[in-house]
Amino acid sequence: MASIEFSSVGKVFNRAGIDFVTLDGVDLSVAEKEFVAIVGPSGCGKTTCLRMAAGFEFPTLGTVKVNYRDVTAPGPDRAVVFQQFALFPWKTVAQNIELGLRNKGVPKVERQERVKNAIALMSLQGYESAYPHQLSGGMQQRVAIARAYVLEPEVLLMDEPFGALDAQTRVSMQEELVRLARVNPRTVLFITHAVEEAVYLADRVAIMTKRPGRIKEIIDIKSVRLAEKWDEHERIEDVMDLESFVHLRTHIWRSLREEKGSQVH
Amino acid sequence: MSLAMQTKINLSEMSADRAQPQRSAVTPPIRLTRSERMRLGTIGLIGFIGIWSLLSLTGLVPRQFLPAPHEVLIRFIELLGTPFAGATLVEHLASSFMRFAYGFLLAAMIGIPLGLLMGWYRWLDDVITPIFDMLRFIAPIAWVPFAALWFGTGIGGPIMIIFAGAFPPCLINAYRGARFVNRNVIEAAQMLGTSNLRIVTEVLLPASIPSIVAGLRVSAGLAWQSLIGAELIVASAGVGFMMVQAQAGVATATVMTCMLAIGLVGLLIDVALRQIETAIRRRHGQS
Amino acid sequence: MTNNRRLIVGFATLAVIAAIWYVMTEATGWISPGRFPTPLDTWDALSQVTFGEYANGALYEHAFHSVKLVLLGFMVAAGIGVPLGLLMGWNSKAEALINPIFLLIRPIPPLAWIPLAILWLGLGDAAKVMVIWFAAFVPSVVNSYTGVKAIDPAVIEAVRMLGTPRWRFIREVMIPAALPMIFTGLRLSLQASWTTLVAAELVGALYGLGRVLNVAQQDIYPGMILVGMISVAILGWATTMILGQVEQRSLRWMQVRG
Repeated sequence: MASIEFSSVGKVFNRAGIDFVTLDGVDLSVAEKEFVAIVGPSGCGKTTCLRMAAGFEFPTLGTVKVNYRDVTAPGPDRAVVFQQFALFPWKTVAQNIELGLRNKGVPKVERQERVKNAIALMSLQGYESAYPHQLSGGMQQRVAIARAYVLEPEVLLMDEPFGALDAQTRVSMQEELVRLARVNPRTVLFITHAVEEAVYLADRVAIMTKRPGRIKEIIDIKSVRLAEKWDEHERIEDVMDLESFVHLRTHIWRSLREEKGSQVH
Repeated sequence: MSLAMQTKINLSEMSADRAQPQRSAVTPPIRLTRSERMRLGTIGLIGFIGIWSLLSLTGLVPRQFLPAPHEVLIRFIELLGTPFAGATLVEHLASSFMRFAYGFLLAAMIGIPLGLLMGWYRWLDDVITPIFDMLRFIAPIAWVPFAALWFGTGIGGPIMIIFAGAFPPCLINAYRGARFVNRNVIEAAQMLGTSNLRIVTEVLLPASIPSIVAGLRVSAGLAWQSLIGAELIVASAGVGFMMVQAQAGVATATVMTCMLAIGLVGLLIDVALRQIETAIRRRHGQS
Repeated sequence: MTNNRRLIVGFATLAVIAAIWYVMTEATGWISPGRFPTPLDTWDALSQVTFGEYANGALYEHAFHSVKLVLLGFMVAAGIGVPLGLLMGWNSKAEALINPIFLLIRPIPPLAWIPLAILWLGLGDAAKVMVIWFAAFVPSVVNSYTGVKAIDPAVIEAVRMLGTPRWRFIREVMIPAALPMIFTGLRLSLQASWTTLVAAELVGALYGLGRVLNVAQQDIYPGMILVGMISVAILGWATTMILGQVEQRSLRWMQVRG
């Protein structure tokens, strides 16, 4: 059962009268409650894929469906976590998280309950009435994730959500996300250029070719993870030390490097 | 989150969330193509000039008080050669521009060095800033009575008003430019044993030039506007004086001609300074 | 502390200026009293206009009149200018339609409208309000417009992703996002309002502080000129302070430090 479905998606951008083919026949399906990460060389159009699922952009060719419906506009059923957080600076943490629920017309009592749960889920207790600029980057991204999670969306779209964070914060956020995915599994489409991150987080990793982007290869991580019992290790560095992890990572690295080809020095 | 809680949330989601379909949500900002932009802009301008013509030509507003656009244009061309209030439009503009140039240059010549020095010498900053803050709230035009008293209504008075309008941005931008110079550069200069005065002229001044030029642009706009104000009140020549004379004679087309001319000269001054600004910025590598 | 130091040096400077003023005029007479008033002249002028009358009214009447015109012109300008700026910032069709008209009119300095306003509306209050309106309008529009244009596109995408209704977007996202710039515009508008008022009243008026300045100039009464200027400065400062307070209150989220 496919929750997100890209079928032969092509995208042409027009910049100053010149057409650029960004995507050329992308086929990818994400099953319900599945976590799929897309990795690819920069400029390959991976973010465009996510933006089409979100409804910010539309395919030139082919179709993008979420739950068997064509995507026509953005909406709270497809919550997005942006790389630059995109929080509302003049709203408190709680107000930021609450806005989507208000838009959906959720009654006040229930709204407060759900905001409280989301805050607890992302360990944001005590910061309810803080403003985003008072928080660190990692904390801000927690708020953004809470803002998305509180909607109980059908799918969660994450566009390099940890790309703007420093290395240490990034690691703890990755661990957090894995914990979250176990407690409250969602259908996730996750864009990243960090190979380790993709292998650590995803059930499957889709590798894209350089522009015009296509899906080159899809690697099944979940079966390896279950077989090799990655979940028994709590820390990311322990998982990263496992031979099975290293093997998958190296495989994806090679595949990406072929794509970068002449680009790599 | 407990399982029970999750179930509750999911149930409530079904009842509350599904009950209300999406209301009219925000649509993305529209991007217009160049031709759409041109078309709408033309419609806007034609509408503006059309309404103006209509009000005037149908007599809804007496012609005497609102001449039609083409009448203003004809008057404009006439006045280029025909004297009004003692001189042609060009001559009036020339005398206004001379005053503007004097007042503006004077403001720049005093304001910029003073601003730079204030940015370097703390004591000077401490002394000048309170005086400046006190005078800041006096509108330049409020100096008119003293200006007339001290320098007369011919050339000196208006120049003082222009100076009052043009001075603050010159000073402030030079000061800010000097204060926000990269500390490393200053420390490097000090390490090389550069004297204080030389730091001001050879480090602070060049580093502040983008800020100073931006200030000069603001300053020129204010100077031009102050000049017009001054000429309306005290002057015996210049385009502002010409306007007052035209107003007294209910020559609306002439008043509007003057406004047009003032706008054009103001625009030319701004364009010229903007050219200089871009050129300088480019040379400083901050396009 | 540096703040204290500034305050002390500041007061010392002002005290020195007052002393120089006294010495140059009252004590030595180096500056002729016909050119700049002595402190005593100024005091006399102040008490004359405060307790008696000058130029058709007492000081408080002139001040009240001027403030009334400034606020009237300013508020009408802000009331129309800010929504128009927001509209132009968000709706590119409105922007494309209106912008050229703006480009045509903007280079004409507000003060250049004074003769036309007098031609149309006479020397009374209406002409002054019109010119003040004109002067205050442009900064309100331009800055509100810039404020909307500068909203982070990602924030707008977040708004759309959350399914925000249009009216809520305007109230809770667009206006708060543009508010710092809106206030920048309002401050410039208020400043322009005062400048324009003084100019318009100097050109011709029956009441107001500009009228006081005008009559004092004709009477060659330097003490009264100084009183008029100081009054204008104090009122300009006071209205700016009030606006600043409103701004601080409205932008409280920016002040909170982490």
